[in-house]
Amino acid sequence: MGLRIIIAYLIMGGAILFAVITAVGLIRFPDVYTRIHASAVVLTISAVLLSIGVAIYVWQFYLSIKILLVGLIFLITNPLATHAIARASYRRKIAIPQVKSIDEYSGYLSRDQE
Amino acid sequence: MSKLKHISIVIILASLGLVMLLDLNKIPNQFEYANSIYHHITNNAVGETGSLNFVTAILYDYRAYDSMGESTIIFGAVSGIVLLLSRKTLPVSSHGLSFIVKRTYGMLTPFIFLFSVYIIAHGHLSPGGGFQGGVILGAISIIFSIVYGSEFDYKRYTPTTKTLLETSGALLFIGIGLIGIIYSGSFLSNLNILNSEPGSLLSAGSIPFINLGIGFKIGAGLAIIFYSMIQKTFKEEASL
Repeated sequence: MGLRIIIAYLIMGGAILFAVITAVGLIRFPDVYTRIHASAVVLTISAVLLSIGVAIYVWQFYLSIKILLVGLIFLITNPLATHAIARASYRRKIAIPQVKSIDEYSGYLSRDQE
Repeated sequence: MSKLKHISIVIILASLGLVMLLDLNKIPNQFEYANSIYHHITNNAVGETGSLNFVTAILYDYRAYDSMGESTIIFGAVSGIVLLLSRKTLPVSSHGLSFIVKRTYGMLTPFIFLFSVYIIAHGHLSPGGGFQGGVILGAISIIFSIVYGSEFDYKRYTPTTKTLLETSGALLFIGIGLIGIIYSGSFLSNLNILNSEPGSLLSAGSIPFINLGIGFKIGAGLAIIFYSMIQKTFKEEASL
């Protein structure tokens, strides 16, 4: 078991750590928007770290390139999906919290419409 | 009346069961491996069809007539859904999602198209084929409808274009089958044109062309189904 395998396992362990953080956040956070914020962690950081770890574990040129491409697709598309879901649910006024201290997005959207 | 119906149902079921029971002893014994059909396929499929993917070899060579029936089922489903959900006016949405989503999918869509063409073209070498790659082709049209608004998809790829693509895919399939009659005497027999060694891209005779036809047919058919469904539900209203 060489140093490369140990590094790969460490990176994959980091991915599992972020997934656990996401699960805790999904249970503990109060409403839709903070839960979307928590689930974005597993969508981006955990998936990308896992693909990097698997690419190091496999360590063949073409296979590793393909796995890193999958990670790149995750890195591009998943924040996009989170953004689209959060924006759509805000514009449709789904579960807007009653008690809030700051709401900068409504000002941004009204400026966008004028 | 209903009693007669019940009696006739029982009679039909009993006669069906009798027929199936009589045919039960015609099922080949699974221990006779050396004479069985899967023994033949696992030993001779690469030599006979040139396709490394045995599933593709069975679907598009040994049982290509069956696959033609399956793609005709898709055609029937598309026709039925379009007939049920057709409307004269087209309420379309032209807003789409936000700027970030539009730009990113503008960059990603060529790669999605490339991936679907890769899956269709390597159908006889790797997992995948016409059906799977065609679904990804149809997903491009669905992405256009959701991200850019259905007006964009309607202007760029009109229903006439999609119908043309679907029909040309089906015609390519049937045309290859008819050429097979002229070439070697049976419908959908494997044409031995473009036959390099098994494992290269232009091998396996007519299987890549059938894959291409099925890919276009499935992709355009799914796009037509999705478009005729969102005609019903989308209205011109505020963007998301």
